[in-house]
Amino acid sequence: MIDVQGLRKTFKTVTALDGIEFEARDGEITGLIGPNGAGKTTALRILYTVMRPDSGIARIDGFDTVTQRQEVQRRIGVLPDTRGMYPRLTAREHVRYYGRLHGMGGKALENRVDELFAMLGVDDFADRRAKGFSKGQTRKVGIARALVHEPQNLLLDEPTNGLDVGSSRAVHQLIRDWRDQGRCVLFCSHIMQEVAAISDRIVVLSLGRVVAQGTVDELLRQTGETDLENMFLAVTQRTESW
Amino acid sequence: MWRRIFVVFAKEVIDNSRDRRSLLVALIYPLLGPLLLGLMIAAVVDVVTIRTEARGTLPVLGAEWAPEFVAYLESRGITVTPVPEDAEAAVRDGELKTAVVIPEGFGELFRAGKTATIHVVSDSSNLPGLIALNRTATLLGEFNRKVWRQRIKALGVDVQILQPLAIKSIDVTKGSNIAQILLFMVPPLLIFNLFMGGVYLAIDTTSGERERGSLEPLLINPVERWGLMLGKYLAALLFTGIAVAVQLIAFKVIFQSAGGSGGFNFAEVFSALTLLGIFAVTLPLMMVAVGVQFIIATMTRSFKEAQTYLGLLPLVPALPGMVLVFAPVKAQEWMMMIPTFSQTLLLGQFVRGDGVAFPDALISMASSMIAALVLIFIAARLYERENLIFGE
Repeated sequence: MIDVQGLRKTFKTVTALDGIEFEARDGEITGLIGPNGAGKTTALRILYTVMRPDSGIARIDGFDTVTQRQEVQRRIGVLPDTRGMYPRLTAREHVRYYGRLHGMGGKALENRVDELFAMLGVDDFADRRAKGFSKGQTRKVGIARALVHEPQNLLLDEPTNGLDVGSSRAVHQLIRDWRDQGRCVLFCSHIMQEVAAISDRIVVLSLGRVVAQGTVDELLRQTGETDLENMFLAVTQRTESW
Repeated sequence: MWRRIFVVFAKEVIDNSRDRRSLLVALIYPLLGPLLLGLMIAAVVDVVTIRTEARGTLPVLGAEWAPEFVAYLESRGITVTPVPEDAEAAVRDGELKTAVVIPEGFGELFRAGKTATIHVVSDSSNLPGLIALNRTATLLGEFNRKVWRQRIKALGVDVQILQPLAIKSIDVTKGSNIAQILLFMVPPLLIFNLFMGGVYLAIDTTSGERERGSLEPLLINPVERWGLMLGKYLAALLFTGIAVAVQLIAFKVIFQSAGGSGGFNFAEVFSALTLLGIFAVTLPLMMVAVGVQFIIATMTRSFKEAQTYLGLLPLVPALPGMVLVFAPVKAQEWMMMIPTFSQTLLLGQFVRGDGVAFPDALISMASSMIAALVLIFIAARLYERENLIFGE
């Protein structure tokens, strides 16, 4: 359960977030969409505790992301904007490292890693070093790393960016499975079709503000558009331009 | 918390022990200093040996013109050896270290009681040449004075009137040997290595981690940022400690093999106790070194930038030690307050076997420890900054 109220964040002269409010509920997939530079990544970064807002409050399961950082960190699994690997560690060592940082260990951790690898199809490169992993392989390990401690809330920044169709579908299925366990999923993307296909609710960001939110049907009704892309352009007040 | 700090520490140690560059800096670089010093000791010992060998001979051209000189040499137990016709070429080519050339008219002038010229050919561009020249000049000087005394006596004058001073020099050096000066080079080499040993790890785990994009996900884990920093810090400290230990052992091996040659017993330089003492005295400095490395590596924007700054860093603390090689100072208490300088002085005392004052060592260790804690605190504060992930 994620609750965002009046978040504001400025970088020197650029206002990245200008008082956004939204909520992401348990048992739902919430899609955060917006054009490049809308503030999606900044919003997620505040939620996953690596940035502090200038004002406003972000809470995860009721815990404040600034004052109760560790409580929040225990409850979130994150695929962040940068998701680099250690080239000299194996896939298994990556996931094990994060599990241990969450206080896991021993047989329980090993079993959890095996389970995740079977689910994500990491088995055939589980003990290979990360140097030379393909994009898809890196993404799988990144997701395994985010899920190792079975977080109640999952935050994903452009989870399918750069993946082929097959891998993207697998990620989508994983997100749905996570929701079906009653957990909260918040992901951001700039691809309208993707967000519409898997989100239960959509939050549209533009220039640091929430310009629309609701289910796909609600958004279409509100704007009177029949086409998703037109709806998107209408609410973000953009035309086809660079 | 400590368990998670250990998790970070263990990961960085395993990760970097798989890295050729980290291992090179920690295990191979430390050997270079001792090897260099070993070669220099070997060279000095060589020169000293030549000097002893050559003591019994003197190359003379035209010995037949000066039978008095030859007789004097023989009375000193020195054998005259032949010199090729072109004496200068022989010395220039290194065939001879030095040669005495007596011209044809020498005998007549000498016997007539006049000033007769004698030539000494030498090459002062190298140490063996200088030593040979010095010895030849001494021999000729003695012969000169001997003849001079005889002539004065023959005139019925008291020699002492013409010799107001009798100069004798007393050298207080223990080993009285050039080889010992080389020992002064041990402290700067140790300090340089100490600032080098963990540097790769310090860069790899901070600016390297940021550049790889693995820092952002790492910071999302439920571990205090100072804890993450401390785990990485301890890993870099371990590699620094390994580098110092490797170098100390290399020094011991090198000195052991140099043994008692050249009139100085190198084998005695590093006893097990001295090694322990050196390690204890330098440990707080290792903490300072890694602290500085972490601050610089955290503040720089990229791996390359960090590498540029930190590559030069070891020269700064090693500099005082290099100056001390040529201009030694007497250690004073206030000097023990200065990290790197105090260790340079203490290491010098350890290596030369001068005996280290316990209070001095204590002051040095305490002041460096305080400096290290301040640096660690600053590094931890830098880890709290938001732009740690994103650079400046």
